[in-house]
Amino acid sequence: MKVIVQEGRCQGHARCLAEGPDVYVLDELGYNSTDVEDVPPHLADQARRGALACPEQALTVVEDS
Amino acid sequence: MTAPENNRPEGAPVVDFDLTTHNRMADSNAAWAELRSTNPVAWSDDNGGAWIVSNYELVSAAFRNWESFRSARDVRTIPGAGGSPDLMPINALPVETTSLMIPEELDPPRWKPYRRVFADLLRPRAVEELAPRIKYWVTKYLDDVIETGECDIVSTLTSGVPGAVVLEWLGFPEDEWHRLGEAFHNAASFVPGSETGQHYMDELEWTFERIREEVTAVRESPRDDVTSRLANIEIDGERTSYEFATGMVNMAMSGGVDTTTSVASAAFVHLHYNPEDRRRLIEEPELIDRAIEEFLRVYPPARTHGRTVVEDTELGGCLLRRDDRLIISEVSACHDEAAFPDADKFVIDRFPNRHVAFGMGIHRCPGSHLARAMFKEMLTQVLERIPDYRVVEDELEEYPHWVALGGWSRMPITFTPGTRRL
Repeated sequence: MKVIVQEGRCQGHARCLAEGPDVYVLDELGYNSTDVEDVPPHLADQARRGALACPEQALTVVEDS
Repeated sequence: MTAPENNRPEGAPVVDFDLTTHNRMADSNAAWAELRSTNPVAWSDDNGGAWIVSNYELVSAAFRNWESFRSARDVRTIPGAGGSPDLMPINALPVETTSLMIPEELDPPRWKPYRRVFADLLRPRAVEELAPRIKYWVTKYLDDVIETGECDIVSTLTSGVPGAVVLEWLGFPEDEWHRLGEAFHNAASFVPGSETGQHYMDELEWTFERIREEVTAVRESPRDDVTSRLANIEIDGERTSYEFATGMVNMAMSGGVDTTTSVASAAFVHLHYNPEDRRRLIEEPELIDRAIEEFLRVYPPARTHGRTVVEDTELGGCLLRRDDRLIISEVSACHDEAAFPDADKFVIDRFPNRHVAFGMGIHRCPGSHLARAMFKEMLTQVLERIPDYRVVEDELEEYPHWVALGGWSRMPITFTPGTRRL
């Protein structure tokens, strides 16, 4: 599983961090600017909840096929 | 109020929607619900004429479209600059008395470096460093009343704590915090033309004077505080102007002081009238983070924001013309059934909860992380220390209007006395 951040869409609400503290990393100003390339299975729920919580809908979860 | 001249766009859905008549939260919410379900984007001639955007989908789209909908202060809303006092300014106050707010009233590209400063000062990690101060002030202000069994929880806690945290952070002298906090709190519940109204405006003018004095002082000799940092910020190698420096300090103070007050007060009213929600939060404190988001959704402090259309833009099937004014409703979006199932219910563990209480897009409230932290500490300590508090219902006072901000002016409570912690 990976999570893609839509460029320019994040506005720093940090809801992904609140729901997925072990998955998401914010930059030095509190914005999410990096894709999560490989989400380990035990953190998949955190990743999904973090993406779902984003008010800007900036995050797309790509499930393993 | 009517427009100085009829600027109604041809073919627009027209409604009679005068926000300045929204005197009670329940009436305001009902008016928004009706508008949202019938005309999610519509023109109203009231207050100088403006488009009003009220459902979640269009509110989100409007907030995100900064290219078309600008935040820079519109000269037509400034009476001294040829505008009419009937026109709706960006906020509820008479605009001639409000100092510039930076970066809320800037558009890109000028907005960007100022926004960076606020994003840096208020990023989640920086707010974590303020946690001990937040905890201290909540503890102390509850200590001050806990042995008496009664207080006005607004002046004691929900107005007092954000005032102390923000003004300490800004570096204003402690003996002025109460007066500064009260000034913003009272200005938010200002009634034009009322007897107390003039006093409130005088007090607000005093706060602007104090901001100017502090900015002048720290530009001459900087201190180790946020006012000094804001007032001396360099943009492209040059120190920002005195006007912008005061605009940033004003932004930090007026954005920080009375907004968290509103939602925290709302939560304490809610938990008074909904004992089941109070019981669940006491028994299951792990619900608090989700509950905080739901309080924000149901009771958003900032209810509306204004914008100006800078290029003809289609929104929700309407053509918004260049120079039209636009009122975007956070509160209406937050209550939209299409975005939130059972939107009229308070669902304590609602998820997902992509509410618009802090706005969306580039002007998203940069103080949101601090607001959540202060709100959470107040809620936690009240439920731990005075869990049986009761609101004296006859003396509960709402703000006299719910245009741009909503809230409670006064909320006397009684409770079983407890013990001090400090």
